[in-house]
Amino acid sequence: MSPSSRLFGRLADRLPPGVRRLTTDSDLPLRQAAYQSPLRDERLAAWLGASLGILFSVCFVTGLYSHLQQHPQSWLPIPARPAGLYRFTQGLHVAAGIASVPVLIAKLWLVWPRFVALPPVKRASHLVERIGLFPLVGGGIFMAFSGVANIAQWYPWRFSFTASHFWMAWVTMGAIVAHVGAKWAISRRALARPSRRPRVTDADPVLGTLAESDGDRPGGTGLSRRGLLGTVAAASGLLTLTTIGQTFRPLRGLALLAPRDPAKGPQGYPVNRGARNAGVVDLATSPDYRLIVDGRVTSRLSFDHAQLLALPTHDARLPIACVEGWSYSAAWQGVRIRDLLDMAGAAPDRTVLLESLEPNGAYRTSTLNPGQAGDRDTLLATHLDGEPLAIDHGFPCRLIAPNRPGVLQTKWVSKVTVL
Amino acid sequence: VSDELVDGDASAEQPLPEERPQPSDHRAGPLFWVSAVMGWVVIGIGLRGVFEHSLDTRPANLAKFVVGGALLHDLLIAPLVILVGVALIRFVPRRARAIVQAALVVTGVLAVFSYPLVRAYGLAANNPTSLPHNYALNLLVVLGVVWAVAAAALVVRLRRPAA
Repeated sequence: MSPSSRLFGRLADRLPPGVRRLTTDSDLPLRQAAYQSPLRDERLAAWLGASLGILFSVCFVTGLYSHLQQHPQSWLPIPARPAGLYRFTQGLHVAAGIASVPVLIAKLWLVWPRFVALPPVKRASHLVERIGLFPLVGGGIFMAFSGVANIAQWYPWRFSFTASHFWMAWVTMGAIVAHVGAKWAISRRALARPSRRPRVTDADPVLGTLAESDGDRPGGTGLSRRGLLGTVAAASGLLTLTTIGQTFRPLRGLALLAPRDPAKGPQGYPVNRGARNAGVVDLATSPDYRLIVDGRVTSRLSFDHAQLLALPTHDARLPIACVEGWSYSAAWQGVRIRDLLDMAGAAPDRTVLLESLEPNGAYRTSTLNPGQAGDRDTLLATHLDGEPLAIDHGFPCRLIAPNRPGVLQTKWVSKVTVL
Repeated sequence: VSDELVDGDASAEQPLPEERPQPSDHRAGPLFWVSAVMGWVVIGIGLRGVFEHSLDTRPANLAKFVVGGALLHDLLIAPLVILVGVALIRFVPRRARAIVQAALVVTGVLAVFSYPLVRAYGLAANNPTSLPHNYALNLLVVLGVVWAVAAAALVVRLRRPAA
């Protein structure tokens, strides 16, 4: 016995007898039978934990990629290709987050009796493990809640969603790493065990499993462990099926609970911020509108509406992929950024800053790294599916570039600055 | 929502396993401590980020949601779910119990997920593409399918003779 466990053991002995009598084992403050459910079982806890760990890891990696997109690092430039990469990773981020909701709820239900363990701490490692439950549970619930609220564009808080969701992801992921290390041995043992109904000898006093009280009557009792796992999978599957159509077009008809319909909106496509809400209606339709190409150029360029439409055009089929998980693919037509740079006499391998007519807003500007600016499909689009661009989609012209979050596909572009 | 608190008579007959060592009785090995150090370094990165960007993250407001979410679950939602489980045992016949439990679990999860959509908190003015569906109706349609499947499963199970 280590000194710390001796110390915590002595403290446990000091508990009033009445408190100790409440439990048949040192971990639970109430009678064992009070928690008896064949479902509170190590093996099921391990299955749910492993699923949750995988789903949260997928969210973390795809979330890091989305963060890198929006906070570009010069040492790790975002490639322009494959064109649909961000559409895939962000669709996956939101889908995995949605699918994790039932798993998280089930896992919390399963281990809930452990939050009130007696004695609260047995040894130093047990203390470290239990302190780690605060970031694990608090972080897990926060990530799921804030993500679900954000895709519904519900902001019942005062903090910035993106910053808080990002930094809390590190807290949650760190807690998962520590928790996996603490539970590795017990989970491996539980998952290696052949799947069968537990007998009395298998009972796990910590999670409260006893042999099923009427296990020899098939269908006589509640959900089996396999039944609960199947129910959680069904709930995840149903949530996925009723939302994934916002990015996976063939299932659009089933997307009854998706916050966006990828085929509803001006010109048949949704928008996150329309022209009125951005405050650009007058500026965009004014005869004084000019598109300016400036910065490190040999000749500064300026185009009015008519001159913009007279520029050489290029066609590209590219997706718009919103960070909130919806996306659509469309046919765009407009002038290439690299052709504009060529006309202005700028060097081809330049970073380019685009500015919108929007007077304010976090996304009124965006930058293209040299690889993105030089891509054959990076356009200032003036047409969508052969029609002039609707004002809600960014008339007179908007940026459309491959492998890029929708918020960085700047609309109502008025200035192109070569850096 | 699930089976909680089995009737006292069944449990009274079971000998309680007091001898089995519990997971937390084992001494922590090197894997525990290496993961704990790595994990807490990563947690530290996150916490440092929260406080370094406090203008954006508003730590006091953020803490309200992180701690509040955990407390809301542990003190309110989890006990409520257990009460529903108890009610199920009292009022739902044994042979129907598993199916009703499963349908209730799915119903609860769908309702929690759809809550902000049904309440239309995020509905943006001047943007008909924001929250384009009638989510209350759609939720009822999905739940209708869930309970129709549950009812069909129930009919199949009840028609089968009890073993």
